[in-house]
Amino acid sequence: MSALIEFQDVCKVYEMGDSVVRAADHISMQIQKGEFVAIVGQSGSGKSTCMNIIGCLDVPTDGKYLLDGRDVGSLDKDQLAEIRNKMLGFIFQQYNLLAKLTLLENVEVPMMYAGVPRGERRERAKVALEMVGLGSKINHRPAQLSGGQQQRVSIARALVGEPAVILADEPTGALDSHTGRDVLTLLQQLHAAGNTVVLITHDNSIAVQAQRIIRLEDGRVIYDGDSHAPEAVVSSGLSGMGGGQ
Amino acid sequence: MKLTEAFQLAVKNIKGNRMRTFLTMLGIIIGIAAVIVIVGLGNGMEKYMRDQFADMGTNTVSVNIMGRGSSRSVSETQMYALVAENPEYFDQISPTVSFSGTVKIGTESPSSTSVTGVSEAYFDMKSYTISSGRGLQYVDVAKRRNVCVVGNYLNSTYYGGNAVGQTIRLSGRSFLIVGVMTQEADDEMEEGGTDDCVFLPYSTAARMSYTGTITSYTLTVVDETQAAASVTIVEDYLYDIFSDDDAYRVISMAEMLDAMNAMINVMIGILAGIAAISLVVGGIGIMNIMLVSVTERTREIGIRKALGAKERYIMQQFVIEAATTSALGGVLGITVGYGLSSIATVVVTALMQENLTVSPSIGAVLGAFGISTFIGIVFGYLPAKKAARLNPIDALHYD
Repeated sequence: MSALIEFQDVCKVYEMGDSVVRAADHISMQIQKGEFVAIVGQSGSGKSTCMNIIGCLDVPTDGKYLLDGRDVGSLDKDQLAEIRNKMLGFIFQQYNLLAKLTLLENVEVPMMYAGVPRGERRERAKVALEMVGLGSKINHRPAQLSGGQQQRVSIARALVGEPAVILADEPTGALDSHTGRDVLTLLQQLHAAGNTVVLITHDNSIAVQAQRIIRLEDGRVIYDGDSHAPEAVVSSGLSGMGGGQ
Repeated sequence: MKLTEAFQLAVKNIKGNRMRTFLTMLGIIIGIAAVIVIVGLGNGMEKYMRDQFADMGTNTVSVNIMGRGSSRSVSETQMYALVAENPEYFDQISPTVSFSGTVKIGTESPSSTSVTGVSEAYFDMKSYTISSGRGLQYVDVAKRRNVCVVGNYLNSTYYGGNAVGQTIRLSGRSFLIVGVMTQEADDEMEEGGTDDCVFLPYSTAARMSYTGTITSYTLTVVDETQAAASVTIVEDYLYDIFSDDDAYRVISMAEMLDAMNAMINVMIGILAGIAAISLVVGGIGIMNIMLVSVTERTREIGIRKALGAKERYIMQQFVIEAATTSALGGVLGITVGYGLSSIATVVVTALMQENLTVSPSIGAVLGAFGISTFIGIVFGYLPAKKAARLNPIDALHYD
């Protein structure tokens, strides 16, 4: 069986004026279904580029990205949108909820674009919100919630469409350590329930919560393996002074 | 995503920005209201003109003979012959001689009274009726009698309602009043109005005039729709006599009404066109606000795109929002337009002392609604395109 996520020599090159930035430099990796992987790196290491490519928000300039065996690089914008909608669930650092909508409506958004009928949508959104412990606040607006609660709404939104991959970009970055831990626990529960979770972070103490760590530096993979191995939390060279907060 | 959902989303956003939406719509509201009032005014004017002409008789053709030098002229016999020869076109004819001398009733001199010399057929042609006494008769014309028929204004103002048998002095000559006409005015009779008139035999009037010739005729046509053909017949006849088309003028009331209506329509068209400019300005206002809105909602667009919104859904959302704003403006504009039309009716009626109803047509209303929606779509397109094209990565990180 092929990997759920497979990078084959993926390169992403940005031209900024005269200089050329290699945000991803021949990255190859595989993530199997059901894994909990943390992609770790300092800012500028290429982890955001990786996350954009995995999330089908961007396509590689070179190399291949196969999502569930499908070459994403050859798809047009609408097809990418459809893949984001059906196969990916995003959790962002800034929660990215729509302020004017209620929690229920926020969770309904991905299903609305998927064309799920209103009644079913409402039901599923309710179930998802109950699952993250916000069943009593479905008609609140995001602004009425704490940061941790908002992040849980965004998790509900991410998993309501039953995506193949849950992609969390610094999900605890805006939270205090206590609520951050709650969110991580939630992600671990999702993983335990059989979901594939990809966590992107610069924070080693967060990254070690995952099963496996892929460490990036200057657009290259410098470590790929068990999160509990001592090398997993050590950076090479000078730029790698990454540590817990 | 269904259109109804996109529409609900648009309504939600519009509700969330009431003040801004209202100000955005203002241009459309003013434009639509102005167009509706102007078109309504045009309709009212057209109806007013039609009524006025109907009073004068749209079935009449008037002929004016200017003559060519003093050598040639056309006699009343010739004109009567013309009518007799074309019974399929013409019904009746009466020479009309306007009298410009003084009018004296006892010691008073009414100055606005119109005095006209006509034939015995004239009353029938104009559908005037006699309320007391008798009308003019052939014998009055043939014998050039000094008799006349007066309008009800003179009758009631100067004769206390008993004018028949009394006299009136025209240019110093005494005329016996043989009949009084039925009141023509719908309400109050006025000095100088339709009822302030004297009709005497045209032969008498011609003899009293300076030249002694008859220069005007009124003809009635059998069929109003044949007015143009009737005019041509008279013109051809007169051209044969004068060989100069400047020597006479033939005007059909029906044609004149058409010409007036055409003129009013052109005028209304121009005015409505000017008013419509504000629709364009309103449309630009909508575009402007939609562009601001796209910038403000960049992050929202990014989130929606990340969650799987295709470009066309984003596009749809913004176009529908613009169109809804604009259409809502249209509906308000129509309401305001109707309100202003009622006010205009009252004001115009009071100022002109005439009955003029400003009545917007259903066509104008539907057109206005359609145009305002169309403007929303056209001017919403560019901002929507901008929104749809946003790169989701950039949009997500926009602050």
